[in-house]
Amino acid sequence: MNDKPLSPNDPRLTAYALGELEAPERAAVEEALAANPALRAAVEEIRATAAQLETALAAEPAPSVSAVIVPQPPRSRVVRFPVAYYIIGGLAAAGFAVLVVRYEPPARVVREEAQPSYTEIRLDQGRESAAAVQDKETPLPPASAPAPAPVAVPAVAEAKAWSGGTGGFPAVDSLPPATVSLSGAMPQASSPSEQSRIRGLAPTNDTVTLSPFEVNASKDTGYYAQNTLSGTRLNTKIEDRSSSISVVTKQQLSDARALDIADVFTYQRNAAAAKSEMATVKVALPAPPTPNTETYGLRQDNQFVAVASEPLSTFSIDVDSAGYSNVRRFLQSGQLPPRDAVRLEELVNYFPYRYAPPSDNQPFAATMEVAAAPWDPRHRLVRIGLKGREVASAARPAANLVFLLDVSGSMNQPNKLPLVKESLRLLLGQLRGDDRVAIVTYAGQSGLALPSTPVTQSREIAAALDGLEAFGGTNGGMGIQLAYDIAKANFVPGGVNRVILCTDGDFNLGVTNQGDLLRMIEEKAKSNVFLTVLGFGYGNLKDSTLELLADKGNGHYGYIDTRREAEKMLVEQVQGTLVTIAKDVKVQVEFNPAQASAYRLLGYENRLLKKEEFNDDKVDAGEIGAGHTVTALYEVIPAGADEKIPETSVDALKYQKTDAAPSRKVASANPPPATRTPQSQELLTVKIRYKEPAGTESRKLEFPLTDRGADFAAASADFKFAAAVAGFGLALREQPAKASLLADSIRWAEAGRVDDAGGYRAEFIGLLHQAQMLAQ
Amino acid sequence: MKPTSATTEDQDHDPNDWVQATVQQHQAALTRYAARLLGDPDRARDVVQDTFVKLLAQRREQIDGHVVEWLFTVCRHRALDVVRKEGRMKRFEEGEAERVTTLEPRPGRALEAEETSAELLRLIGHLPPNQQEVIRLKFQNGFSYKEISRITALSVGNVGFLIHTAVTRLRRDFAAQRP
Repeated sequence: MNDKPLSPNDPRLTAYALGELEAPERAAVEEALAANPALRAAVEEIRATAAQLETALAAEPAPSVSAVIVPQPPRSRVVRFPVAYYIIGGLAAAGFAVLVVRYEPPARVVREEAQPSYTEIRLDQGRESAAAVQDKETPLPPASAPAPAPVAVPAVAEAKAWSGGTGGFPAVDSLPPATVSLSGAMPQASSPSEQSRIRGLAPTNDTVTLSPFEVNASKDTGYYAQNTLSGTRLNTKIEDRSSSISVVTKQQLSDARALDIADVFTYQRNAAAAKSEMATVKVALPAPPTPNTETYGLRQDNQFVAVASEPLSTFSIDVDSAGYSNVRRFLQSGQLPPRDAVRLEELVNYFPYRYAPPSDNQPFAATMEVAAAPWDPRHRLVRIGLKGREVASAARPAANLVFLLDVSGSMNQPNKLPLVKESLRLLLGQLRGDDRVAIVTYAGQSGLALPSTPVTQSREIAAALDGLEAFGGTNGGMGIQLAYDIAKANFVPGGVNRVILCTDGDFNLGVTNQGDLLRMIEEKAKSNVFLTVLGFGYGNLKDSTLELLADKGNGHYGYIDTRREAEKMLVEQVQGTLVTIAKDVKVQVEFNPAQASAYRLLGYENRLLKKEEFNDDKVDAGEIGAGHTVTALYEVIPAGADEKIPETSVDALKYQKTDAAPSRKVASANPPPATRTPQSQELLTVKIRYKEPAGTESRKLEFPLTDRGADFAAASADFKFAAAVAGFGLALREQPAKASLLADSIRWAEAGRVDDAGGYRAEFIGLLHQAQMLAQ
Repeated sequence: MKPTSATTEDQDHDPNDWVQATVQQHQAALTRYAARLLGDPDRARDVVQDTFVKLLAQRREQIDGHVVEWLFTVCRHRALDVVRKEGRMKRFEEGEAERVTTLEPRPGRALEAEETSAELLRLIGHLPPNQQEVIRLKFQNGFSYKEISRITALSVGNVGFLIHTAVTRLRRDFAAQRP
């Protein structure tokens, strides 16, 4: 026996606690125990756990047992009877049928060449079924009737090759009994696992003892049997089988006038209608090659609004940056993005800007700048920049993170699940020892892959992450439920409580109705658990769903297509991703009619709020993370410009004074009257409302802006760059994309390319060139 | 919890009575065990029935004294045969075990103990299948390390390690779930 001192993590200690050690070893352990109180405590704990386990497992639900089994004394026959065969045997007794077994390997082993296929056909008329065929009304033998003794049929010996050359199916009623046909090529299995799967279908030399069983095919109606076969032995629903099996009934053969096995294959089960009994006959069509099922919500551009009719512009902030990564992905793959995938505010907000951070205790500061609009020098371009307070890693509160990972089959691509794992490893590297991480997965079933675990146990976290595999459908709703439950169970008061959802956004099981999903998220968001949505992959990206989820779930939405993008979100800006410094941040801009005649907000189309909603704390709005910058751009037509102000949708009001009236109206709606200064030189006032991350009442900040008439050339580099990004977005939202505006944007972006720390601006200029080429 | 071996007193009766008694006594535990291995109570019942058929063919004196262990060993072989033949194994999904059974109340048990048990069962469900199996054999069926070793064809050391690992993890996870 070894002399190593016992550690509390020694299997011998568990064995000792459970009374499993032999005398000499027991003595050695007892000696160690006497000297070490920690070991004694560990033994006590093991015993307590063992007692709990015994109690728990004793109460564990067990399957009910069938009445009383009276096995017949050893008269049981030994037959060669492979599993696939007694499916057929049962069928035979149940009546006439053709069993078509199509072996389809799981998706991950699909290869282009030589799709394996295995066909087994059984055509039979047993004794009971003969009666059933002659008189279709004759019911099958009642379940209590003595089961037909399993016929000792060596499957292979009785199998008669049926080449199909006999002129098709003989007349059904004239078939000889027990005609078995096996045809089709056995798949060329290449991997051992595949081989073993295939062997399961082929006759084997194993000896199986059959217990008595009954056959009941009463559920098999319509063209396709619902059960592999009926009988107590293998009463399995066909849809539960791992291989794809269709059992075609006689009905289909006669209705389709099938004369040949090829006729049966002409009619395929329609996948969508698989569960309905009838009307499933449909000629199979080849699947379209790699369908693109990405969806984007429709977006209408904001139009110019006359200040006289609507002096207030209200919107919710948005720090999502998914739009840019997604547009970049399109351009880099050599195509222009779909119009609705271009979200102008997300393009502008992707880039870090050097706005002054708040100096006092405010959560953020506003920096504003105005200069001539580069694409139309008669217009003024106003930039409103918000900068969130920076939070140092050591200063942030402890984090309780729940990774909610989509491990459905659609994630099984190199740029999805593997990239998810890599991204999360990057994030784990940024966490502190007192942070906790849990992993919830969802596919067809949801599961807790890792209970909330301190980050110090990094090996276990890494092991749980590595063990994830993609497969199955996507029941996102259940996963979200579980993830929020875990987050709430481990809630850190005043800390970072966040669910990080990684998905391609395809929710196709469970709660799939977008409205229900959103209601659920909205409900969950009230628990002060925040949400980060990370979109992955393409081809199936449900961009609109993800953006809405993040929007409703007090969160933000990022799109990760490369490791570099993961580094930006999860390493460089990790504090912003994790720490929310203010929520429900709304911006309301009041324009001064003496200075501006019309304005339009660039982007934020689906973030617009009604002016009353600004002061309504019940209305949800965007969040801002530590160090985040938010940029909004307005294009303003100055007062007195000879330009025709765009028509509003309503006619001019008949009874209103047209000059100063709107301003007064607004002022009376918004006391105090002291702020009523229509003759002010100010162009506009920005009002910002926000709540503390756990607060329910909003606070208001105000920042006025006066236009000094600056030229675009005199503007700051950040201003020029933001204008270039806006120009890029506007050009891509034109149909067709506007190449000339793209060319101009390149010049503006070059002018704004200073202090380009992450190389993001240089990359953007590259994209501009690419877009310009594609647009020409 | 330790199962008593059906052995001595009805030595003189018809051998069928002995089998009948053994069935009565161990059918439920075996079915539960097989259902875990197979993930399917229907197949489990078939496997258990096959196990008793084999018992009939067995000479009693060869297995007397370790009948229970013998039953579990045979049952395990049969279950694994089925798993191998069908080329797959479906583990119980979360919540399925509850659905398999009756809703009969368990009176006399404090609510908290019930919650503890439910939580532990859930955590057990997250262990790897081989750990789950030995944990159940040990704490549900009351087998010793050596008996488990013979049933599962694992070494005693390996059984000890699996049980130790599982108990350690359950202890930690259980603590982690209750801050």
